[in-house]
Amino acid sequence: MTRRQLLTKAGKWAVGLGLFFPLYSFIMKKRYRPPIQIQIKEALKPGQFLMEKEFALFQTTKGPLAVSRRCTHLGCIVNYHETGKIFLCPCHQSKFHWDGRYISGPAKKDLYRLKVRPLEGGKGFLVEIPRGKA
Amino acid sequence: MKLNTGELVTGALVISALSGFVLAYQYEPATPFISTVAMEATIPFGPFWRSLHFWASQLFLLLLFFHIYKTISWPLDHQRTTHKRHWTVIALTVPMAIFALFTGYVLRYDATGQDACMIAEHLLLKVPLMGHALNRFLIAASDEGINRVYAVHILLTFLLWGFGTWYHLKRVTLKWPAFMSLLIALCAFCALIEAPIDLPGQNVALIKGPWFFLGVQELLRYLPPFIAGVLYPMIPIAAITALPWLPKPRVGLWITGLWGLSYGYLTLVASLR
Repeated sequence: MTRRQLLTKAGKWAVGLGLFFPLYSFIMKKRYRPPIQIQIKEALKPGQFLMEKEFALFQTTKGPLAVSRRCTHLGCIVNYHETGKIFLCPCHQSKFHWDGRYISGPAKKDLYRLKVRPLEGGKGFLVEIPRGKA
Repeated sequence: MKLNTGELVTGALVISALSGFVLAYQYEPATPFISTVAMEATIPFGPFWRSLHFWASQLFLLLLFFHIYKTISWPLDHQRTTHKRHWTVIALTVPMAIFALFTGYVLRYDATGQDACMIAEHLLLKVPLMGHALNRFLIAASDEGINRVYAVHILLTFLLWGFGTWYHLKRVTLKWPAFMSLLIALCAFCALIEAPIDLPGQNVALIKGPWFFLGVQELLRYLPPFIAGVLYPMIPIAAITALPWLPKPRVGLWITGLWGLSYGYLTLVASLR
Protein backbone atom coordinates (compact mmCIF):
# COMPACT_ATOMS: atom_id res chain seq x y z
CA MET A 1 0.00 0.00 0.00
CA THR A 2 1.41 3.42 -0.97
CA ARG A 3 1.51 6.36 1.41
CA ARG A 4 -1.24 8.09 -0.58
CA GLN A 5 -3.50 5.05 -0.35
CA LEU A 6 -2.83 4.74 3.36
CA LEU A 7 -3.65 8.39 3.97
CA THR A 8 -6.84 8.12 1.88
CA LYS A 9 -7.93 5.09 3.87
CA ALA A 10 -7.08 6.75 7.17
CA GLY A 11 -9.02 9.84 6.07
CA LYS A 12 -12.12 7.77 5.26
CA TRP A 13 -11.95 6.05 8.63
CA ALA A 14 -11.47 9.37 10.40
CA VAL A 15 -14.56 10.85 8.70
CA GLY A 16 -16.54 7.69 9.45
CA LEU A 17 -15.56 7.56 13.12
CA GLY A 18 -15.86 11.33 13.43
CA LEU A 19 -19.48 11.06 12.29
CA PHE A 20 -20.20 7.92 14.29
CA PHE A 21 -19.72 9.56 17.68
CA PRO A 22 -22.15 12.47 17.12
CA LEU A 23 -24.66 9.98 15.66
CA TYR A 24 -24.21 7.58 18.58
CA SER A 25 -24.59 10.35 21.19
CA PHE A 26 -27.65 11.79 19.43
CA ILE A 27 -29.41 8.45 19.33
CA MET A 28 -28.38 7.07 22.73
CA LYS A 29 -29.56 10.10 24.72
CA LYS A 30 -32.67 9.21 26.69
CA ARG A 31 -34.79 12.24 27.50
CA TYR A 32 -36.26 12.21 31.00
CA ARG A 33 -39.92 11.53 30.94
CA PRO A 34 -42.01 11.38 34.13
CA PRO A 35 -43.99 8.20 34.85
CA ILE A 36 -47.37 8.02 33.17
CA GLN A 37 -50.13 8.78 35.68
CA ILE A 38 -53.57 7.46 34.96
CA GLN A 39 -56.61 8.65 36.86
CA ILE A 40 -59.47 6.24 37.29
CA LYS A 41 -62.59 8.15 38.21
CA GLU A 42 -64.60 5.19 39.33
CA ALA A 43 -65.12 3.74 42.80
CA LEU A 44 -64.68 -0.01 43.17
CA LYS A 45 -66.04 -2.25 45.91
CA PRO A 46 -63.93 -5.16 47.23
CA GLY A 47 -64.06 -7.98 44.70
CA GLN A 48 -64.64 -5.63 41.74
CA PHE A 49 -62.02 -4.94 39.11
CA LEU A 50 -61.34 -2.69 36.15
CA MET A 51 -59.44 -3.72 33.03
CA GLU A 52 -57.37 -0.94 31.48
CA LYS A 53 -55.11 -1.25 28.42
CA GLU A 54 -51.86 -1.37 30.41
CA PHE A 55 -53.00 -2.71 33.77
CA ALA A 56 -55.76 -4.35 35.75
CA LEU A 57 -57.03 -2.68 38.90
CA PHE A 58 -58.52 -4.93 41.58
CA GLN A 59 -60.20 -3.68 44.74
CA THR A 60 -59.49 -6.02 47.63
CA THR A 61 -60.39 -5.91 51.33
CA LYS A 62 -56.81 -4.73 51.94
CA GLY A 63 -56.99 -1.93 49.38
CA PRO A 64 -56.50 -1.45 45.63
CA LEU A 65 -54.04 -3.61 43.65
CA ALA A 66 -52.81 -2.57 40.19
CA VAL A 67 -51.25 -5.38 38.13
CA SER A 68 -49.36 -4.52 34.94
CA ARG A 69 -50.65 -6.35 31.86
CA ARG A 70 -47.17 -6.51 30.32
CA CYS A 71 -46.05 -10.14 30.25
CA THR A 72 -42.71 -10.54 32.05
CA HIS A 73 -41.51 -12.91 29.30
CA LEU A 74 -41.37 -10.59 26.28
CA GLY A 75 -43.81 -7.78 26.99
CA CYS A 76 -47.05 -8.83 25.25
CA ILE A 77 -50.36 -7.62 26.73
CA VAL A 78 -51.87 -10.43 28.82
CA ASN A 79 -55.63 -11.02 28.72
CA TYR A 80 -57.76 -11.58 31.82
CA HIS A 81 -60.03 -14.60 31.87
CA GLU A 82 -62.63 -13.99 34.53
CA THR A 83 -63.86 -17.57 34.77
CA GLY A 84 -60.56 -18.95 36.02
CA LYS A 85 -59.35 -15.60 37.46
CA ILE A 86 -56.15 -15.89 35.48
CA PHE A 87 -54.14 -13.79 33.06
CA LEU A 88 -53.14 -15.58 29.84
CA CYS A 89 -50.46 -14.27 27.50
CA PRO A 90 -51.65 -14.64 23.87
CA CYS A 91 -48.10 -14.74 22.50
CA HIS A 92 -46.42 -17.63 24.30
CA GLN A 93 -49.16 -18.83 26.67
CA SER A 94 -47.72 -17.84 30.07
CA LYS A 95 -50.33 -17.92 32.86
CA PHE A 96 -50.63 -15.78 35.99
CA HIS A 97 -53.04 -15.59 38.94
CA TRP A 98 -55.36 -12.57 39.13
CA ASP A 99 -52.91 -10.80 41.47
CA GLY A 100 -50.01 -11.28 39.04
CA ARG A 101 -48.38 -14.34 40.61
CA TYR A 102 -46.77 -16.61 38.02
CA ILE A 103 -48.43 -19.99 37.34
CA SER A 104 -46.87 -21.52 34.21
CA GLY A 105 -45.26 -20.84 30.83
CA PRO A 106 -41.99 -19.27 29.70
CA ALA A 107 -42.36 -16.00 31.68
CA LYS A 108 -41.08 -17.44 35.03
CA LYS A 109 -41.66 -14.13 36.86
CA ASP A 110 -44.73 -12.51 38.44
CA LEU A 111 -46.43 -9.63 36.64
CA TYR A 112 -45.28 -6.20 37.87
CA ARG A 113 -47.36 -4.43 40.48
CA LEU A 114 -47.88 -0.74 39.84
CA LYS A 115 -48.12 2.09 42.35
CA VAL A 116 -51.75 2.91 43.06
CA ARG A 117 -53.40 5.20 45.57
CA PRO A 118 -56.99 6.26 46.13
CA LEU A 119 -57.94 9.74 44.94
CA GLU A 120 -58.96 12.22 47.60
CA GLY A 121 -62.59 11.79 48.55
CA GLY A 122 -62.46 8.08 47.68
CA LYS A 123 -63.90 8.63 44.19
CA GLY A 124 -61.32 6.76 42.18
CA PHE A 125 -57.62 5.94 41.93
CA LEU A 126 -54.30 7.22 40.62
CA VAL A 127 -52.10 4.58 38.98
CA GLU A 128 -48.47 5.24 38.09
CA ILE A 129 -46.73 3.41 35.24
CA PRO A 130 -42.96 3.89 35.21
CA ARG A 131 -41.42 4.57 31.77
CA GLY A 132 -39.85 1.49 30.25
CA LYS A 133 -42.40 -0.74 31.95
CA ALA A 134 -45.31 0.25 29.72
CA MET B 1 -40.57 -12.48 -22.46
CA LYS B 2 -38.06 -13.91 -19.99
CA LEU B 3 -38.12 -12.53 -16.47
CA ASN B 4 -35.20 -13.11 -14.19
CA THR B 5 -35.64 -13.23 -10.44
CA GLY B 6 -33.25 -10.34 -9.77
CA GLU B 7 -35.42 -8.05 -11.89
CA LEU B 8 -38.58 -9.15 -10.12
CA VAL B 9 -37.02 -8.58 -6.68
CA THR B 10 -36.00 -5.06 -7.72
CA GLY B 11 -39.42 -4.40 -9.20
CA ALA B 12 -41.20 -5.50 -6.03
CA LEU B 13 -38.86 -3.31 -3.95
CA VAL B 14 -39.49 -0.27 -6.15
CA ILE B 15 -43.28 -0.74 -5.91
CA SER B 16 -43.09 -1.34 -2.16
CA ALA B 17 -40.92 1.73 -1.57
CA LEU B 18 -43.03 4.06 -3.74
CA SER B 19 -46.33 2.91 -2.22
CA GLY B 20 -44.70 3.29 1.22
CA PHE B 21 -43.86 6.92 0.50
CA VAL B 22 -47.48 7.47 -0.54
CA LEU B 23 -48.66 6.03 2.80
CA ALA B 24 -46.22 8.26 4.69
CA TYR B 25 -48.24 11.31 3.59
CA GLN B 26 -51.13 10.18 5.80
CA TYR B 27 -49.35 8.17 8.47
CA GLU B 28 -48.69 9.66 11.91
CA PRO B 29 -46.26 7.86 14.22
CA ALA B 30 -47.79 9.68 17.23
CA THR B 31 -51.15 8.01 16.58
CA PRO B 32 -50.14 4.97 14.55
CA PHE B 33 -53.20 2.78 14.91
CA ILE B 34 -55.69 5.61 14.45
CA SER B 35 -53.94 6.87 11.32
CA THR B 36 -53.80 3.34 9.89
CA VAL B 37 -57.50 2.81 10.54
CA ALA B 38 -58.20 6.24 9.06
CA MET B 39 -56.45 5.14 5.87
CA GLU B 40 -58.68 2.07 5.77
CA ALA B 41 -61.88 3.93 6.55
CA THR B 42 -61.82 7.54 5.39
CA ILE B 43 -58.95 8.33 3.04
CA PRO B 44 -59.64 7.85 -0.67
CA PHE B 45 -57.82 4.77 -2.01
CA GLY B 46 -56.37 4.18 1.50
CA PRO B 47 -57.12 0.45 1.48
CA PHE B 48 -55.61 0.14 -2.00
CA TRP B 49 -52.34 1.93 -1.15
CA ARG B 50 -51.99 0.05 2.13
CA SER B 51 -52.69 -3.22 0.39
CA LEU B 52 -50.23 -2.42 -2.41
CA HIS B 53 -47.51 -1.59 0.12
CA PHE B 54 -48.24 -4.67 2.21
CA TRP B 55 -48.41 -7.21 -0.62
CA ALA B 56 -45.54 -5.72 -2.65
CA SER B 57 -43.37 -6.01 0.47
CA GLN B 58 -44.45 -9.60 1.12
CA LEU B 59 -43.74 -10.41 -2.51
CA PHE B 60 -40.37 -8.67 -2.28
CA LEU B 61 -39.29 -10.88 0.63
CA LEU B 62 -40.56 -14.07 -1.01
CA LEU B 63 -38.87 -13.19 -4.30
CA LEU B 64 -35.68 -12.35 -2.42
CA PHE B 65 -35.69 -15.83 -0.84
CA PHE B 66 -36.36 -17.34 -4.26
CA HIS B 67 -33.55 -15.26 -5.77
CA ILE B 68 -31.11 -16.53 -3.13
CA TYR B 69 -32.27 -20.08 -3.76
CA LYS B 70 -31.63 -19.64 -7.50
CA THR B 71 -28.18 -18.10 -7.01
CA ILE B 72 -26.97 -20.02 -3.97
CA SER B 73 -24.36 -21.93 -5.98
CA TRP B 74 -22.78 -18.67 -7.21
CA PRO B 75 -20.25 -18.39 -4.33
CA LEU B 76 -19.16 -21.98 -4.97
CA ASP B 77 -17.98 -21.00 -8.47
CA HIS B 78 -16.70 -17.48 -7.74
CA GLN B 79 -13.77 -17.63 -5.40
CA ARG B 80 -12.11 -14.25 -6.07
CA THR B 81 -11.97 -12.05 -2.96
CA THR B 82 -13.98 -9.23 -4.60
CA HIS B 83 -16.70 -11.73 -5.50
CA LYS B 84 -16.73 -13.12 -1.98
CA ARG B 85 -17.03 -9.64 -0.51
CA HIS B 86 -19.85 -8.80 -2.92
CA TRP B 87 -21.77 -11.91 -1.89
CA THR B 88 -21.38 -11.21 1.84
CA VAL B 89 -22.48 -7.57 1.57
CA ILE B 90 -25.48 -8.53 -0.56
CA ALA B 91 -26.40 -11.43 1.76
CA LEU B 92 -26.65 -8.88 4.58
CA THR B 93 -29.60 -7.28 2.80
CA VAL B 94 -31.65 -10.36 3.76
CA PRO B 95 -31.82 -9.57 7.51
CA MET B 96 -32.39 -5.92 6.51
CA ALA B 97 -35.33 -6.95 4.34
CA ILE B 98 -36.79 -9.10 7.11
CA PHE B 99 -36.44 -6.24 9.58
CA ALA B 100 -38.02 -3.82 7.09
CA LEU B 101 -41.04 -6.10 6.83
CA PHE B 102 -41.11 -6.56 10.55
CA THR B 103 -41.03 -2.81 11.28
CA GLY B 104 -43.82 -2.34 8.76
CA TYR B 105 -45.83 -4.94 10.62
CA VAL B 106 -45.23 -3.05 13.89
CA LEU B 107 -46.11 0.35 12.39
CA ARG B 108 -49.77 -0.45 11.86
CA TYR B 109 -49.80 -0.85 15.67
CA ASP B 110 -52.79 -3.08 16.10
CA ALA B 111 -52.77 -5.64 18.94
CA THR B 112 -50.39 -8.00 17.14
CA GLY B 113 -48.17 -5.12 16.00
CA GLN B 114 -47.84 -3.81 19.56
CA ASP B 115 -47.02 -7.21 21.01
CA ALA B 116 -44.53 -7.94 18.20
CA CYS B 117 -42.85 -4.62 18.94
CA MET B 118 -42.51 -5.42 22.66
CA ILE B 119 -41.19 -8.91 21.90
CA ALA B 120 -38.56 -7.51 19.53
CA GLU B 121 -37.50 -4.91 22.10
CA HIS B 122 -37.17 -7.53 24.84
CA LEU B 123 -35.23 -9.84 22.50
CA LEU B 124 -32.80 -7.08 21.52
CA LEU B 125 -32.22 -6.29 25.20
CA LYS B 126 -31.21 -9.93 25.69
CA VAL B 127 -28.24 -9.50 23.35
CA PRO B 128 -25.13 -9.41 25.58
CA LEU B 129 -23.16 -6.13 25.76
CA MET B 130 -24.75 -4.45 22.71
CA GLY B 131 -28.40 -5.12 23.59
CA HIS B 132 -29.14 -1.68 25.01
CA ALA B 133 -27.44 0.18 22.16
CA LEU B 134 -29.13 -2.02 19.53
CA ASN B 135 -32.49 -1.32 21.10
CA ARG B 136 -31.84 2.44 21.19
CA PHE B 137 -30.87 2.33 17.50
CA LEU B 138 -33.62 0.05 16.21
CA ILE B 139 -36.74 0.11 18.41
CA ALA B 140 -36.79 1.69 21.92
CA ALA B 141 -40.59 1.72 21.82
CA SER B 142 -41.02 1.59 25.63
CA ASP B 143 -39.33 4.96 25.93
CA GLU B 144 -39.88 6.63 22.57
CA GLY B 145 -43.11 5.24 21.16
CA ILE B 146 -42.72 4.04 17.59
CA ASN B 147 -40.78 7.06 16.28
CA ARG B 148 -37.60 5.05 15.91
CA VAL B 149 -39.33 2.04 14.39
CA TYR B 150 -40.70 4.44 11.77
CA ALA B 151 -37.31 6.09 11.20
CA VAL B 152 -35.64 2.68 10.78
CA HIS B 153 -38.40 1.49 8.45
CA ILE B 154 -37.69 4.42 6.11
CA LEU B 155 -33.92 4.12 6.55
CA LEU B 156 -34.09 0.46 5.51
CA THR B 157 -35.79 1.48 2.27
CA PHE B 158 -32.75 3.58 1.43
CA LEU B 159 -30.32 0.86 2.47
CA LEU B 160 -32.08 -1.89 0.53
CA TRP B 161 -32.42 0.39 -2.47
CA GLY B 162 -28.79 1.48 -2.18
CA PHE B 163 -27.26 -1.96 -1.78
CA GLY B 164 -29.71 -3.62 -4.15
CA THR B 165 -29.27 -1.16 -7.01
CA TRP B 166 -26.13 0.97 -6.73
CA TYR B 167 -24.01 -1.88 -5.39
CA HIS B 168 -25.64 -5.00 -6.79
CA LEU B 169 -27.32 -3.84 -10.01
CA LYS B 170 -24.01 -3.47 -11.75
CA ARG B 171 -24.80 -7.03 -12.78
CA VAL B 172 -28.59 -7.20 -12.94
CA THR B 173 -30.92 -4.67 -14.55
CA LEU B 174 -34.58 -3.88 -14.20
CA LYS B 175 -36.25 -3.62 -17.58
CA TRP B 176 -39.70 -2.27 -18.31
CA PRO B 177 -41.46 -5.59 -19.13
CA ALA B 178 -40.54 -7.08 -15.76
CA PHE B 179 -41.50 -3.96 -13.85
CA MET B 180 -44.77 -3.31 -15.68
CA SER B 181 -46.02 -6.90 -15.43
CA LEU B 182 -45.29 -6.89 -11.70
CA LEU B 183 -46.94 -3.50 -11.20
CA ILE B 184 -50.09 -4.43 -13.11
CA ALA B 185 -50.42 -7.85 -11.43
CA LEU B 186 -49.93 -6.36 -7.94
CA CYS B 187 -52.34 -3.45 -8.56
CA ALA B 188 -55.02 -5.85 -9.77
CA PHE B 189 -54.48 -8.14 -6.77
CA CYS B 190 -54.46 -5.29 -4.24
CA ALA B 191 -57.58 -3.65 -5.65
CA LEU B 192 -59.37 -6.84 -4.54
CA ILE B 193 -57.47 -8.05 -1.46
CA GLU B 194 -56.98 -5.79 1.55
CA ALA B 195 -53.98 -5.76 3.87
CA PRO B 196 -54.79 -7.27 7.27
CA ILE B 197 -55.36 -5.30 10.48
CA ASP B 198 -56.69 -6.46 13.88
CA LEU B 199 -59.63 -4.67 15.43
CA PRO B 200 -59.00 -3.46 18.98
CA GLY B 201 -60.44 -4.94 22.15
CA GLN B 202 -60.52 -8.58 21.16
CA ASN B 203 -59.72 -10.81 24.14
CA VAL B 204 -57.93 -13.43 22.05
CA ALA B 205 -56.20 -16.41 23.64
CA LEU B 206 -53.54 -16.72 20.93
CA ILE B 207 -51.87 -14.03 18.82
CA LYS B 208 -49.85 -15.14 15.83
CA GLY B 209 -46.91 -13.05 14.65
CA PRO B 210 -46.06 -12.39 11.01
CA TRP B 211 -45.58 -15.57 8.96
CA PHE B 212 -41.80 -15.19 8.80
CA PHE B 213 -41.55 -15.06 12.62
CA LEU B 214 -43.97 -17.89 13.44
CA GLY B 215 -41.08 -20.34 13.85
CA VAL B 216 -39.31 -18.06 16.33
CA GLN B 217 -42.57 -17.49 18.18
CA GLU B 218 -43.03 -21.24 18.53
CA LEU B 219 -39.47 -21.79 19.76
CA LEU B 220 -39.82 -18.96 22.33
CA ARG B 221 -42.31 -21.16 24.17
CA TYR B 222 -39.61 -23.69 24.96
CA LEU B 223 -36.19 -22.00 24.95
CA PRO B 224 -34.75 -18.91 26.66
CA PRO B 225 -35.33 -15.71 24.62
CA PHE B 226 -31.65 -15.21 23.77
CA ILE B 227 -31.31 -18.69 22.24
CA ALA B 228 -34.72 -18.86 20.53
CA GLY B 229 -35.01 -15.24 19.44
CA VAL B 230 -31.41 -14.20 18.78
CA LEU B 231 -28.96 -17.09 18.31
CA TYR B 232 -31.21 -19.47 16.37
CA PRO B 233 -32.30 -16.89 13.72
CA MET B 234 -28.67 -15.81 13.34
CA ILE B 235 -27.59 -19.27 12.12
CA PRO B 236 -28.73 -19.00 8.46
CA ILE B 237 -27.67 -15.35 8.23
CA ALA B 238 -24.19 -16.23 9.46
CA ALA B 239 -24.02 -19.30 7.20
CA ILE B 240 -25.14 -17.46 4.05
CA THR B 241 -23.01 -14.35 4.54
CA ALA B 242 -19.94 -16.48 5.31
CA LEU B 243 -20.64 -18.95 2.49
CA PRO B 244 -17.82 -18.02 0.07
CA TRP B 245 -15.27 -17.70 2.90
CA LEU B 246 -15.83 -21.18 4.34
CA PRO B 247 -13.14 -23.80 3.57
CA LYS B 248 -15.97 -26.05 2.38
CA PRO B 249 -18.83 -23.79 1.20
CA ARG B 250 -21.13 -26.78 0.80
CA VAL B 251 -21.14 -27.13 4.59
CA GLY B 252 -22.73 -23.66 4.75
CA LEU B 253 -25.37 -24.79 2.27
CA TRP B 254 -26.13 -27.84 4.37
CA ILE B 255 -26.42 -25.79 7.56
CA THR B 256 -28.76 -23.33 5.83
CA GLY B 257 -30.83 -26.15 4.33
CA LEU B 258 -31.18 -28.04 7.61
CA TRP B 259 -32.00 -24.83 9.45
CA GLY B 260 -34.62 -24.08 6.78
CA LEU B 261 -36.18 -27.50 7.34
CA SER B 262 -36.29 -27.01 11.11
CA TYR B 263 -37.78 -23.54 10.66
CA GLY B 264 -40.37 -24.84 8.21
CA TYR B 265 -41.39 -27.47 10.76
CA LEU B 266 -41.66 -24.91 13.59
CA THR B 267 -43.66 -22.58 11.33
CA LEU B 268 -46.03 -25.41 10.47
CA VAL B 269 -46.54 -26.31 14.15
CA ALA B 270 -47.17 -22.63 15.03
CA SER B 271 -49.58 -22.08 12.16
CA LEU B 272 -51.63 -25.15 13.11
CA ARG B 273 -52.23 -23.88 16.65
